[in-house]
Amino acid sequence: MNRRKLLSLLGMSPVLLTGNPAQAGQTKHAAAPAADPGAVKITTVNPKGTPPSIQLIPMAPRLDSLDGKTVYLVDTGFHGSDALLHQVELWFNRNMPSVTLVFKRKAGPYAQDDPPLWKEIKEKGNAVIMATGH
Amino acid sequence: MGIPSVPLVTKAFKDLAILNAGKRGMPLERICFTPHPVWGKTPEELRVYVDGPDPITGKPLMKEVVDGLTVPLSADEKKTGIVSVSVGPPTFTDTAENLQEFYLNNGYTDFLPIVLPTQEKVDAMLKGSSHHPDEVIGKMAAGAYPPWTYTVRQVAASAVMAGCRPEYFPILLAIASTGIASLFSSTNSFAFSMIINGPIRDKLEFNYGIGALGPFAQANATIGRAWTIMSKNLGNGGIPGDTYLGSVGNNLNYNNVVIAENEEASPWDPFHVQRGFKKEENVVSLFRGLGVVPGQVARGSSVNTSPMFDAQLSDLFSTFTGFFGALVIADPLVAVRLKEQGYDTKEKLIDWLYKNTTQTVKDYKGRNYSYLFEYPQALQGVEPFATWYKLPDDAVIPHFPRASSFNVVVTGGQTNAYPQAANMSYGVSVSIDKWM
Repeated sequence: MNRRKLLSLLGMSPVLLTGNPAQAGQTKHAAAPAADPGAVKITTVNPKGTPPSIQLIPMAPRLDSLDGKTVYLVDTGFHGSDALLHQVELWFNRNMPSVTLVFKRKAGPYAQDDPPLWKEIKEKGNAVIMATGH
Repeated sequence: MGIPSVPLVTKAFKDLAILNAGKRGMPLERICFTPHPVWGKTPEELRVYVDGPDPITGKPLMKEVVDGLTVPLSADEKKTGIVSVSVGPPTFTDTAENLQEFYLNNGYTDFLPIVLPTQEKVDAMLKGSSHHPDEVIGKMAAGAYPPWTYTVRQVAASAVMAGCRPEYFPILLAIASTGIASLFSSTNSFAFSMIINGPIRDKLEFNYGIGALGPFAQANATIGRAWTIMSKNLGNGGIPGDTYLGSVGNNLNYNNVVIAENEEASPWDPFHVQRGFKKEENVVSLFRGLGVVPGQVARGSSVNTSPMFDAQLSDLFSTFTGFFGALVIADPLVAVRLKEQGYDTKEKLIDWLYKNTTQTVKDYKGRNYSYLFEYPQALQGVEPFATWYKLPDDAVIPHFPRASSFNVVVTGGQTNAYPQAANMSYGVSVSIDKWM
């Protein structure tokens, strides 16, 4: 499924693609089959809970280029993430040697936040590549 | 953070990654994908991944990564604002046959036939509690997603769908109030369980005799089923690839191992009393883990005339992951025999099991959950993991991190002295009476 279809499940993509966040109330519900006009109809309750609204976050400005920049390679701790990022590191060494690479394993289990690392990256880094293996 | 970033995700989690980014406000996040899996691959194989294409787009992976960090943002990528998400109208009107299809096709069910939640049936269910139908009673998150909220009425709709009677409703409200979903987004195919204690067991005719964990009573069957239907509807759980990722899945998710404790035949304090409630209170306690295995398969002197159930249980638990807890599900015959062997409280049995269920450090370090969850904590100095990771490989350590990892419940019909054992952790105990 492509990104447009996936996001339509959230009621999002029409908004983002047409630029009208105020009218984002989309439903993902498939229509029920057409009813026999003579059949008895009943009314049932929608069992779904209430999803939170989504605050759109603008993405960070991109860099002009990576030349001479510092890129943090962040390992989430999933199996194989470190090994994958090591290959990414080697790729940069071969293909973009002017890039300074800093390898970091995010603190704690994979779902735990790591504010000190984000602070360090903001102070010392220009970009992040984060790998979540599996 | 304000720093350009690109996440690398394996292709198996494409939908999850895109939807998660969208739900968190960055629907066009520049996610790059590698082949799946990464785990267990050699450096040479991973180099092929890195030098090769993104399997989703077909474009060179590292060019995508570099472009993701350097190509200027589009107008859509800079957008701000609030997006509201609808789940449809509050009611649906159609024929019963069409509505059955509609609920099934929209993922509202567990794919078994449901009782349609008509206004009348939902109203009847609401009479099972004094709480206002529009009261918002909790938040439930499908994995790492932002949580959904829900009302008493929305819980009632799922309760009706599962076939519950109105008098069961306070139990479902108590469960819903915890915000704990019985479907979890992990790839690990988790199982869930609940223990019911108090006089409500008899009032609602729970089965805690012969076949206590089987399909032999409406309360056990439908309340367990309702938890999963609630998890799908109240928290939007159970959507494969999105909010559910269990690779093999877990059959226990259909009913969630409902355990009404056989308090009358047990020689020990009931579970809820251990948790500080009074015996006459009605309480539901929730567990999460991986599953249940029968004690008949255990080693531990079971061939003689005096079976050593402590050793049998320890043998079973030694095959479990210590990351989750160990729940003893003892037939009353087992519990009585254990008491005769000197375990006059559950706590004494737990203490023995904790001290005698052991492993070597080498085995511990080789376990999946140790690496994924406990090694990172060891690096942060969290005990006992920090100490365990410093010990030599041949050192012997407890299999579970603490005695409180163990719990004991008694249920069953005393047709044979068989225990069962669940690799499940205790979560929380909540009052049912509060929701009457």
